[in-house]
Amino acid sequence: MSDELRFPDPSARRGVRDSNALDDRTARLIREAYLPPVASGEAANAYWSALESRIMARVATADPTRGDEGLWSVLERWAQVGLVAAVAIFAVAGVVGRSLGEPEEQVAYESVVQAATPEALSAPAQLITASDKSVQRDAALQYVLSY
Amino acid sequence: MRIPDEERALVAAAQAGDQQAFGGLVRLHQRRAYLVARAIVTVHEDAEDALQDGFVRAFQALDRFDPAQTFGAWLNRIVANAALDLMRRRKVRNTEELSDALGSPFRDPAESAELRQRLTDALAKLPERARSVIVLHDVEGYTHVEIGEMLGIPGGTARSDLHHARQRLRELLKDLRG
Repeated sequence: MSDELRFPDPSARRGVRDSNALDDRTARLIREAYLPPVASGEAANAYWSALESRIMARVATADPTRGDEGLWSVLERWAQVGLVAAVAIFAVAGVVGRSLGEPEEQVAYESVVQAATPEALSAPAQLITASDKSVQRDAALQYVLSY
Repeated sequence: MRIPDEERALVAAAQAGDQQAFGGLVRLHQRRAYLVARAIVTVHEDAEDALQDGFVRAFQALDRFDPAQTFGAWLNRIVANAALDLMRRRKVRNTEELSDALGSPFRDPAESAELRQRLTDALAKLPERARSVIVLHDVEGYTHVEIGEMLGIPGGTARSDLHHARQRLRELLKDLRG
């Protein structure tokens, strides 16, 4: 077994641990609990080889341009989505507003027309009444003047 | 930090577009990167997913890697990010699943079953970040600064999390220690 296929020994790094660190037994148990669920020896080597193959298969099919995407391209994509959403919201709001506005306009129109109708109808009556009175007054005046 | 010649050559070749060289970097670093992912996501299958995502992201970002850095540290940050993304996406792992994930049947049968069970239960009771910090520091040997870079938190926060995690873990395991 080559060095590459061995787990890196954490004890070298753990030399820098402070005195308050977990005791070795606890650390070892945790470490064992976090190992992949494969047996040791050849089976473990086979597991890591298989995992490496899966990783490389994904790397081979990965889009190399995606890694070049920076923050701006991500923001640009979200801006496009936001723009489309805003247009859709405005369109829906316009349609809803129009459909809700029509009955109100109709009611307002009718209320104005209804409110205006008695006056409109009474105006000619007043004119007629007024014209009757003036005819009578003219006739009376002519009668007085004729004497 | 001295960078091994083999790694330096593999990085240079991979940056020039040699996928086989990148395969060599995968072989060199996948085990340690797996442990970083596992410390964060805790579940084996999720750790594998995060590891694969991390390597793909690293491959896609190779042209931005500074060869003066150590590849392992750079890769571990990417893998940790992939693991954190996975955690954010899922957020479904409960403590019961964690205990199951940690209780693998092939472990040393001589080890007290009760001890292992208590340990896995205690780990499951820690907050996610505290658990990651204590595993990465006390088990894997990363420094506060390295852990902070991996988890996207200041090194001081990692130190503080570690302190509280140790206290809590010792409280939970106090009747087993000795």
